[in-house]
Amino acid sequence: MGSTNDKEIVISVCTGTGGIAAGAFKVIDAFEEALEEHGLKAKFKSRTHKVGCRGFCAKDVLVDVAVGEDVVTYEFVTPEKAKAIVEKHLVGGEPVKKWLVKDDYHAFHTKQQRVVLHNCGRIDPESIDEYIATGGYKAARKAIFEMEPEEIIQEIKNSGLRGRGGGGFPTGIKWESCRRAAGTIKYVLCNADEGDPGAFMDRSIIEGNPHAVIEGMIIGAYAIGSHEGFVYIRAEYPLAVDRLRLALDQARERNFLGKNIFGSDFDFDIEIKLGAGAFVCGESTALMTSIEDKPGLPRPKYVHTTDKGLWGRPSNLNNVETWANVPLIIDRGADWYASIGSEQSKGTKIFSLVGKIKNTGLVEVPMGIPLKEIIFDIGGGIPKKKKFKAVQTGGPSGGCIPASLLDLPVDFENLSKAGSIMGSGGMIVMDEDTCMVDVAKYFVQFCVDEGCGQCTPCREGLYHMVKLLTDITEGRGTEEHIKLLEELSEVIIDTSLCGLGKTAPNPVLSTLRYFRDEYEAHIFDKKCPAGVCRELTTFVIDEKKCTGCTMCARNCPVGAITGEKKEPHLIDQSKCIKCRMCYEHCKFGAVLKM
Amino acid sequence: MASTVNIIINGREIQAPEGMTILEVAKKEGIFIPSLCYLDALEPEGTCRLCIVEVSGSLRHSIRVSCIQEVKEGLIVETDTERIKRNRRVLMELLLARTPYSKELLDLARKIGVVTSRFQSEEFDDCVRCGRCVRVCRDQIGAYALCWVNRGYQRTVTTDFDRISEYCIGCGSCVQVCPTGALKMEDRGNERIIYKWGQILARLKLEKCEKCGKPFAPKKYLEHMAKKAYKPRGLQLVEIICPDCARKVERPVPAPEFPVGKMPFGF
Repeated sequence: MGSTNDKEIVISVCTGTGGIAAGAFKVIDAFEEALEEHGLKAKFKSRTHKVGCRGFCAKDVLVDVAVGEDVVTYEFVTPEKAKAIVEKHLVGGEPVKKWLVKDDYHAFHTKQQRVVLHNCGRIDPESIDEYIATGGYKAARKAIFEMEPEEIIQEIKNSGLRGRGGGGFPTGIKWESCRRAAGTIKYVLCNADEGDPGAFMDRSIIEGNPHAVIEGMIIGAYAIGSHEGFVYIRAEYPLAVDRLRLALDQARERNFLGKNIFGSDFDFDIEIKLGAGAFVCGESTALMTSIEDKPGLPRPKYVHTTDKGLWGRPSNLNNVETWANVPLIIDRGADWYASIGSEQSKGTKIFSLVGKIKNTGLVEVPMGIPLKEIIFDIGGGIPKKKKFKAVQTGGPSGGCIPASLLDLPVDFENLSKAGSIMGSGGMIVMDEDTCMVDVAKYFVQFCVDEGCGQCTPCREGLYHMVKLLTDITEGRGTEEHIKLLEELSEVIIDTSLCGLGKTAPNPVLSTLRYFRDEYEAHIFDKKCPAGVCRELTTFVIDEKKCTGCTMCARNCPVGAITGEKKEPHLIDQSKCIKCRMCYEHCKFGAVLKM
Repeated sequence: MASTVNIIINGREIQAPEGMTILEVAKKEGIFIPSLCYLDALEPEGTCRLCIVEVSGSLRHSIRVSCIQEVKEGLIVETDTERIKRNRRVLMELLLARTPYSKELLDLARKIGVVTSRFQSEEFDDCVRCGRCVRVCRDQIGAYALCWVNRGYQRTVTTDFDRISEYCIGCGSCVQVCPTGALKMEDRGNERIIYKWGQILARLKLEKCEKCGKPFAPKKYLEHMAKKAYKPRGLQLVEIICPDCARKVERPVPAPEFPVGKMPFGF
């Protein structure tokens, strides 16, 4: 690479929540200090650059070092490493090879199609200029000055964009009915109340590129004829709230929001509304009652919110990701957008890939990509050479998809055919050590805790579902339990008031459909095949495999394991609390789950 | 006269005024649909889900709660299909699991064919969380003495901070509208107590009748009545007389028609 000469040096540090948690700010300080120390600041145009989350959170802190045109990426950067990078790479002129990202980083990115997330990780989310420099607010100007509202709606309809919050309702049709609804005051709302366990798509978009959401909302408001917008965002996302607030202020300063935006005769402004952390407030009517400063309870009305929503006025609610798609469609055209994705689901979808997977992070893939490409090519497969068992999509109301359906193309239709839902895009990967009954119990318990408690089926029914599932995992299950679970599921789906209840039995139904044998093993053999349910599992040491390394005995918290060095060990079953520590620590696979 | 719509309930052709809910029409026509949270004096909340019906025709074939769904031209309603009956029975079993001792609920359960519940809860009370008491106190009386707390399975009716309510006027409307007898009101000596399973919600001193000296009503309640009934007619509360004595008093002029308004009941 040679010397750095007079090329511009830009050090981009990931400052998403994942990056910050891994110490991004300390890394930035270390870089700044080192640049100063080596006189690079005065000599060259060098600077550190805060960027949003680029998705691969497992490798944080990720740092791009750009010297002129040459860009290399370092993983797991610490302040100490930062100093060394400046010394060896920027002064010495040779990148530090051992700290560079490895093949898995490239594998993680090659199969992705980053459209919505394109700017996340490239631009500083706190700078409106950087967003404008990448073509930002061009689409909003185009919409306001060159297009009629009907044209915009037609364009969105042609693009085939469907709601990314979970329902998958065609966005263009929603906008159209809101535009046609009677009334002069209308609202556009953005749902950033992302509460699914393990989901962080919306959070990363707002943290990494908040202006895209604002621009989408401006276009939507213009198309619908609304002059007021709200972003309902969780207070648990402090960084996202701060960056969104800053972005709104910047947009107002430039007159991109407020009166006569861009100098046109169109007025529009956006207000932030903080959610207090209730999962049910992600439901559209509950979200609206919450914005109205009432308790966030779903409304039982059979009226579309596009006719009567917030304060009884026509309201158009879309998810963060949906709004972030809008500027792209207006900018590049519906045909381009419709060329991505599958027959009925167009465009890309962001998933947060979590659980038992090597490459944890945020991935954006075209709709219709086979599930196994996401999990094995992008995600890198299951760690510790374990076997893949299932993937849970769509958050707590989604279903578990088994290994036999790994070829399933991921889009709205196919997921719902498989008994799951797209949801907002959570993807929790589970390996062979996961008990599916336990998983179902976890998700139903989540809905019990988070349901509003208004309607009988969801409030009482889910509670009894958890009780039945607990019975099964604790060895009290009978055949009757499965029958009751199935009957309850049907009733809850049929009679619940809102979407939360209607989808809450999905984890139970899907696990009953694909992993019935596991339920039966719990009930008839009183065994937990995965060895998770404590009451149904015993740990024993295989005398032949045990080398007597004492690892298990040293890690046993209750001293239940005895044995001499280099002699087979023994677990005292009366003392064992089934904490799995011996199983996790044995390097020879000598601890067996029975 | 508002315009009417033609609908079919259980195969019967019915003309119903526009804007009415299915449940209201069914009640008028003598068709039984079980319900708990519905009360005609209150805004429907549709939370007990017992009044579910199957709709088709001019609406997409689906299950809806009849206390909220308004009638529409060409609507076909089935109130007693197998699917509806099964769902109702399971819902009732779920309610009975937590409320096994309420006579009122057991009566309703028997009516829809449920005798025992296959589910068992760990805690019992008489409340089915229908919210009638909260709604009547808030929307009709305007006292805001009762409120919901917690969510999910822990959702329950109580007073602010679980304390003896400062806002309760002791009218007893909540007790009157409770479908399961979970709320109770008692006058003990010169005190009125409103309570539910294990918790006293309100405790109010009773004013004595100026004629017979019997304690009969809390002061706040009398003030409320004065505000609602006398003030609009330019009258003032001058004497505190119990209903028994009031009946004996000879009125010089026959009182004009009493504007009961939205009061659910009164003396």
